[in-house]
Amino acid sequence: MGWVLFPKLLYSQKQQPVAFNHALHNEEVDGGCESCHFFRDDGTYSGVPKLAQCVDCHEEMQGDSEAERIFVEEYVAKGREVPWLVYSRQPDCVFFSHAAHVILAEMECVTCHGPIGESESLKVYEENRISGYSRDIWGKNIAGIKRNSWDRMKMDDCSDCHRKENVNQGSVQTHKGGCFVCHK
Amino acid sequence: MKIDRRSFLAFVLGGAAGTALSPLPWKLTDDLAIWTQNWPWTPVPQDGEVTYLNSTCTLCPGGCGIRVRKVDERVVNIEGMQGHPVNDGGLCTLGLAGVQLLYGPTRVTSPMKKVNGSWRKISWDAAIAEVVEKLSDLRAKGLPNTVACISESDRGTVAELFNRFLTVYGSPNFIRTPSIQDSYELALYLTQGVPAMAGFDVGNADFILSFGSGFIEGWESPVYMFKANSKLRDHNGRMDQVEPRLSKTAAKSDKWIAINPGTEGALALGLAHVIIKENLYNREFVAAYSSGFEAHKKIVIDGYPPDIVAKITGVDTATITALARDFAGARKPLAICGRGKGKTPGSLQEFLAVHTLNALMGNINKAGGIWAVPEPDYISWPELGMDNVASTGMQQRRVDGAGSDKYPHARYLLNRLPEVINSSQDSPIQMLLVASANPRYTLADSQSVAKAFEKIPLVVSFSSFMDETTVNADMILPNHVYLERYEDVPAARGFPKPIISLAQAVVDPLWNTRHSGDVIIQIAKQLGGPIADAFHWDSYHACLEESLADKWDTLVEKGYWIDEEFVAADWAEAFETESGKFEFTSKEIDALPQYNPLKAKGDETFYPLVLIPYDSMRLTDGYIGSPPFLVKSLEAYILQTNDVLVEVNPTTAKEYGLDDGSVAILRTPKGNARVKVQHYDGIMPGVIAMPRGLGHSAYDKFLAGKGANYNALIDVLEDPASGYDAAWGIRARLAKA
Amino acid sequence: MKQENSKKFGMVIDLDKCTGCGSCMVACMAENNVPFREDDTDKLLSISWMRVYTLTNGQPFPRTEACYLPRPCMQCEGHGGHSPCVSVCPATATDYDMETGIVSQIYTRCFGCRYCMAACPYHVRQFNWWDPLWPDGMERSLNPNVSVRMRGVVEKCSFCIHRYQLAKDRAYAEDRRELEEDEYQTACAQACPAGAITFGDLNNPEHAVHQMVKPDNKHGGKPHAKNTFRLLERLGTNAKVYYLSSRDWVRHAGDNYLKNEGILKHS
Repeated sequence: MGWVLFPKLLYSQKQQPVAFNHALHNEEVDGGCESCHFFRDDGTYSGVPKLAQCVDCHEEMQGDSEAERIFVEEYVAKGREVPWLVYSRQPDCVFFSHAAHVILAEMECVTCHGPIGESESLKVYEENRISGYSRDIWGKNIAGIKRNSWDRMKMDDCSDCHRKENVNQGSVQTHKGGCFVCHK
Repeated sequence: MKIDRRSFLAFVLGGAAGTALSPLPWKLTDDLAIWTQNWPWTPVPQDGEVTYLNSTCTLCPGGCGIRVRKVDERVVNIEGMQGHPVNDGGLCTLGLAGVQLLYGPTRVTSPMKKVNGSWRKISWDAAIAEVVEKLSDLRAKGLPNTVACISESDRGTVAELFNRFLTVYGSPNFIRTPSIQDSYELALYLTQGVPAMAGFDVGNADFILSFGSGFIEGWESPVYMFKANSKLRDHNGRMDQVEPRLSKTAAKSDKWIAINPGTEGALALGLAHVIIKENLYNREFVAAYSSGFEAHKKIVIDGYPPDIVAKITGVDTATITALARDFAGARKPLAICGRGKGKTPGSLQEFLAVHTLNALMGNINKAGGIWAVPEPDYISWPELGMDNVASTGMQQRRVDGAGSDKYPHARYLLNRLPEVINSSQDSPIQMLLVASANPRYTLADSQSVAKAFEKIPLVVSFSSFMDETTVNADMILPNHVYLERYEDVPAARGFPKPIISLAQAVVDPLWNTRHSGDVIIQIAKQLGGPIADAFHWDSYHACLEESLADKWDTLVEKGYWIDEEFVAADWAEAFETESGKFEFTSKEIDALPQYNPLKAKGDETFYPLVLIPYDSMRLTDGYIGSPPFLVKSLEAYILQTNDVLVEVNPTTAKEYGLDDGSVAILRTPKGNARVKVQHYDGIMPGVIAMPRGLGHSAYDKFLAGKGANYNALIDVLEDPASGYDAAWGIRARLAKA
Repeated sequence: MKQENSKKFGMVIDLDKCTGCGSCMVACMAENNVPFREDDTDKLLSISWMRVYTLTNGQPFPRTEACYLPRPCMQCEGHGGHSPCVSVCPATATDYDMETGIVSQIYTRCFGCRYCMAACPYHVRQFNWWDPLWPDGMERSLNPNVSVRMRGVVEKCSFCIHRYQLAKDRAYAEDRRELEEDEYQTACAQACPAGAITFGDLNNPEHAVHQMVKPDNKHGGKPHAKNTFRLLERLGTNAKVYYLSSRDWVRHAGDNYLKNEGILKHS
């Protein structure tokens, strides 16, 4: 019973402000994920698109779905940024370099983010009532059991991979990864 | 069901084991750990797109190029601009802390009007209408000359707009705040006959002899001088510092020559004595390009032999002779003066003494020497159409006496203004506009300044900050801060080449402020007639773009325009005096009172000690108050809690029974202050040194109420030769509290 | 563990050029989100990653001399990365990275026991006794590349490691793996108006810091260049911040020498 009840107590369920269809957008663009989630010239990663990017196509209503109406009326027309809930949001002490993983190590987005690009709707955002972060960080499984590489985003997951790939294993204390590789 | 001991234990143990084996405690521990690491009141700065924008720092007249780092719409950092001719990537403490001024708590957020002693926000329309009404009123009464304006600069479009406004309105009373610029300009004018700015080719000098200048403590363009000092070190050059106190400049010099305060000019003349007597001067320059040398020679040979100079200055004869020989023996020697950061104009005769020392070495307009840099001339606006009121007003005497028979050479004498107002029944100034200045803090004898300002019926401040002058003003028309506005920077102080820079708006104005240039244009337009006609621009931006004409594109793109090829005029063409030569003496110079070390004010028996100020790069002492990072960076020997520390030589301190760190009362003829005593070997016995820039009553809690204001303890000491303020200190006493 | 192309970032501070102006301190504070308080005059409680000390030769007027000494974290290597602070940390909150030579401090991991502060011979570590608070609106000036520290943790100079991270990102985006010398510079080195601070890789013979110091990396990085010294050399902290001064008394002040003892000579 605890296995069912506990997560319900620990996580609150939140809906994204706008229903978003990744699959649909992926069909419309040529460049895959990077069409909207791109690298800036200085090598930093833009992350979740800003309204200004969306406006390029959504200045006017595209189709007549309810989600589109909400998006255009509530956000585009009012010039308000969409308060997206980011499943992979990490605490401020984390420095994550998309450039190192995607450009240098040539990793696929799916490896860490899963097949979110194929989804037709955004899943419910489950916010940890204690820590304030998404359930996706610890992983769906309360015991922390991981089936796919994208099932969890804890420090150990980063560190395991870094160890396997021999990425900066220069720590004197731990003989593992250096702290200032992923922390700031 | 009966619960016996056995089943109870089994239940508890089973439960404990079950809990421990379940992920529950581990999961909760992890969550709790993350919770404790992210308190909601600890700010998490928002990430975003980083952009860099080029601009110019206008927090001092140094003219440094800056690179402003923004994250989305936030300004997060300011860096020096790489490759900029003035500062090449370096930046001073104030420039680096500039973001704190933008987002700081002492911004004036809207036009305000004082009603029954408290501030009320009003609209821009109402504020401008009120100012216009008062101006029309004074003009109708035929009193346009009772309007005055105080500004830090008299160059560049904003200052020129204010000046143009006053002129066409009918007031000659545009007043620039005092600095060594006054004395250097006058020295160049008297000896070389040119209207010019002093530029120092310090980067090419191999011996810099500084008469009390804070060469690496904010003198002229601070970062340019820092760079020059490092270059001097790289080339095994030499820098000697003449000063009663082991300042940072003295500490980093090759030789510190401790001198009786206020006698630096005598030492300069003493050095000239040795140089002339031993024939060490530049024969070519003196013979072919100078006039009045014989008369000058007579003065220094008769009046300033080493033994007499030693008595005046406290510097022994051997040091004087050796210094003169070393200076003259250097390939490119350069003498500079103007104490500390150069906030007080100083004695004209002292400047002439130092300037003629350079002339003796023939390093006028030469590599490594002092250059006459032509004044910027890019502002050429249409002629003014003056009506009768304006013409009559402009013929009135300046209220500060500058240019009068008594002060024929002075251009601006702000130091005289408080006395003039206080000695009149009704204030000769009915309306005062204060732009980029904080005279209630920066002028000597704060009490008299306050009294004078109280007598002025309407004080209008254009400040972005709640500084001392603004808090006590009657109306505020707040300017944007420098990161929010465009403005031309017509020169970089002390820089040897003509350079024009552009300060650009890197962020939209945060508050309901307005560019002072726009405000003046709007006021003029509302006044109508020839005043409105004099301001044909729709906006300040239009005026700026038109004024900079063909330089505009370069300025927007690069941030500065420099006359790279500029070399100061050849000796044959450099001098526009009557004789066409450099004039060691002339009719005009002869008419001035002779050099005499100026005595500090105060009775020697009641005030046995002498108080001198010192400047620090970690404290501003101009119209911009120190932002929190500067106060935080202050050394423990400058400020402790709210007490300023004054430096006293241990022997003097012992004489007066003042322990290190003890609280004392510092008294001068002008006021007193609570201070802490800091024993310091690096200060001459009998002298007390105090930092400038503390003792603010205005600004935020990070600055206000800390330490004491040096200016409140000091009096103006009028230079008999120029009328400028030449105070280098004041007599004082120090007693246990 | 140690990789072939490992870096050893270090700093050389020319005390002949340093004017004691404090630009390094302010640049550091602005870059690294260092908090400030209404009264920051008690320097034992005031947080400043970089601090400029004033040294005097102790002579009476007028033979007094003074020198200004900027002090960032020395990033001690000790023996094999066992710097004084790293060895005592019970939380693995501070660590030595053999690939950069930088001593890291992870604020979220630190629980504030302050052992490291006691162990550090240079007073580079400071404790957050108070919540960091910015006047309303001023938090907009915070740099997102450096995390803001919370009350109850120790912080110190990081050699602006975030600038290294960002410089690498840019390099990757431009299909490079190696950085140019000027691509990674600390805020203090960049801002210093006197050009007194030089920063770079001590392992790289082409970098200015290597040429200025000529470190003997086989013997604890001892400097071989003329007039160079490190603070408390004889403690064996193997610091990566080197100083340069032409004045004997300044170099003498760099360690606890006996009165009549000569300055430690290297090689």
